[in-house]
Amino acid sequence: MSLEEYKGVFIFAQQVDNEISNIALELLGKAKDLAKDLDEKKVTAVLLGDKVGNLVDKLAEYGADRVIVVDDPELKDYRTEPYTHALASVINEYKPEILLVGATAIGRDLGPRVSSRVHTGLTADCTQLEIGDFPLTVAPGQEQLHQQLLMTRPAFGGNTIATIACPNFRPQMATVRPGVMQKIAPIAGAKAEVVDYNPGFKANNCYTEILKIVKEVSTAANIQDAKILVSGGRGVGSAENFKLLDELAEVLHGTVSCSRAVVDSGWKPKELQVGQTGQTVRPQVYFAIGISGAIQHVAGMEESDIIIAINKDENAPIFDVADYGVVGDLNKIVPELTKQLKAAIAAKAE
Amino acid sequence: MDFLLDQKHEMARSLFREFAEKEVKPLAIDTDETETFPRETVNKMAKAGFLGIPVPKELGGQGCDPLTYVMCVEELAKCCGTTSVIVSAHTSLCIDPILTYGTQEQKEKYIPDLASGRKLGAFGLTEPGAGTDAQGVQTKAVLSEDGKYWTLNGSKCFITNGKEADVYIIIAYTDVVEDKKGRKQKKFTAFIVDKDTEGFTFGTKEHKMGIRGSATYELIFQDCKVPAENQLGARGKGFPIAMHTLDGGRIGIAAQALGLAEGALDRTIEYVKERKQFGRSIAMFQNTQFQLANLATEIDAAKLLVYRAAEAKRTQDRYSVEAAKAKLFAAETAMDVTTKCVQLLGGYGYIREYEVERMMRDAKITEIYEGTSEVQRMVISGDLLK
Repeated sequence: MSLEEYKGVFIFAQQVDNEISNIALELLGKAKDLAKDLDEKKVTAVLLGDKVGNLVDKLAEYGADRVIVVDDPELKDYRTEPYTHALASVINEYKPEILLVGATAIGRDLGPRVSSRVHTGLTADCTQLEIGDFPLTVAPGQEQLHQQLLMTRPAFGGNTIATIACPNFRPQMATVRPGVMQKIAPIAGAKAEVVDYNPGFKANNCYTEILKIVKEVSTAANIQDAKILVSGGRGVGSAENFKLLDELAEVLHGTVSCSRAVVDSGWKPKELQVGQTGQTVRPQVYFAIGISGAIQHVAGMEESDIIIAINKDENAPIFDVADYGVVGDLNKIVPELTKQLKAAIAAKAE
Repeated sequence: MDFLLDQKHEMARSLFREFAEKEVKPLAIDTDETETFPRETVNKMAKAGFLGIPVPKELGGQGCDPLTYVMCVEELAKCCGTTSVIVSAHTSLCIDPILTYGTQEQKEKYIPDLASGRKLGAFGLTEPGAGTDAQGVQTKAVLSEDGKYWTLNGSKCFITNGKEADVYIIIAYTDVVEDKKGRKQKKFTAFIVDKDTEGFTFGTKEHKMGIRGSATYELIFQDCKVPAENQLGARGKGFPIAMHTLDGGRIGIAAQALGLAEGALDRTIEYVKERKQFGRSIAMFQNTQFQLANLATEIDAAKLLVYRAAEAKRTQDRYSVEAAKAKLFAAETAMDVTTKCVQLLGGYGYIREYEVERMMRDAKITEIYEGTSEVQRMVISGDLLK
């Protein structure tokens, strides 16, 4: 078995409840770029499930040239063992050069199992993928390999960036962070070559039995997990007026949080409080709206990647920590911001 | 040098002690337990004239000297730290600046109500970002174009007697000037603000370790309009007014600390005489005796410093250093004495019913408020090295 036999860019097309997950479409977008850099003609999606034939066309619209479908009642709900068996069998049969899996709860479980079973390397939670030379700088006597998949991921809690290659084994496998890669604009009516493949399933003692699947709707958002926080202080003025922040958060898929003054006024529950006596948060974007920015609050959010402050008092200490600031009336600024963001997001989606 | 109190002061002290024993002591445990402001006691103290002790008689006060007032705070603190600080904040931090810096109209308008206890006073300087560094005050006051009123915006925190008080002395910045080196400096002004002023509300009530019945609130000013005639002292002179006010306030807190230490020692002496171990009272053990000797000596030293500071307030224009020394030493004495008294009571000392643990919790704040012990050391050393 030589490395040259491995050809093509494959993605694992995650589906749950007979619905293609968003990450699968993002992976297709990236896979098309990688295929072009490798002078490959085709991008292949691997679709596992029970009676999922109807999903093939959607994958085609988003860029899959070929879909390998493993359709079996054993694959109805995600379980580690049958899915690993299915995906590893596909690899052994079709020998892809690259296999991308979404870094979802399912993908993070499936990726390592498959990579161990087919004995290859896996890079987890990648944020950047490109085709290039490895190693970048060649030591004397070392051979430089071309057209390798260079997988880049944050390590040590995001404090360093590591670029990893897998030169000696195939396929080169990566799980990819959701939301990073771009979908292509869907091509209506596109068709893909469909290949049915079934490795056969023999239940063994690794087959878990699913007793119940619970879909929980979380009520109080966990503000520590939020990527975008829209935080309001006393300046918001009332519990009712928080609807301005709710609308902004909705457009950005963010979460609303608040300062202690808001909790004390009874406008929001204590779980949403940011600060020394509340939660410490590190979102990518933190909107501080009508928050003066006393150290008791700032201590809980100054690690945010980007801080945007809106306050009518230009001397408010919040502006000392803000990356961007607007001095003015939040009642005018926030709705306008929401409106413009809505328009911008709609324009981007077209 | 005369270290004996005259008859007048002795009589005043026995009046305060009787009131504290009869009216304050029975409620002290409940006040702490429930964190309720002792409004009933305040009304009784108003009737007894305790809320205007150092105020001239013609303005409705008792016309006594600072020492008499200090003894009142001390005697109340022996029984209840909460009750003593209500009197101290009201008298030292609200009445005193109006008496010292107020116009005749302001004095006539505010002092009789405050001195009689018909109204209660408070003082607002501290903010979330401005504690020891009082220059960091962010609350802003802007004079209207017609010069008739000031508009205040900002907030104050940890205000003693907050929400319960009717009259507030508030420090806000009104001007920014540049010094010779071109550095911007804020200039502050003091204001008398009535409780019912529009745009003036109360925020959080703080839940504290000690003095739990004392109402400690956040004050919020949102476009709060204060009439121009309520400006206290000259524009831009708010900072020296606040500092001078605190000099007096520190004597009050020093008296509170002294009273807490004395109250804890009194209870401990009673207890060690009654408590028996190894077949005799624990007062018979030399460790007990030596500990008590140390504590009593410390308390006496603190007392002389506190009384000297009160006398300095009567006889001198400036008494910052005397007040700082008294507060520093009395507060640290209170902490030391109450901690050791809890130890001398053993396991019972840790039980709330026995009251010395409450005095230990109450004592800690005396090292922090109206200028931390570190601030007092800054004041004292600044004077030494000038």
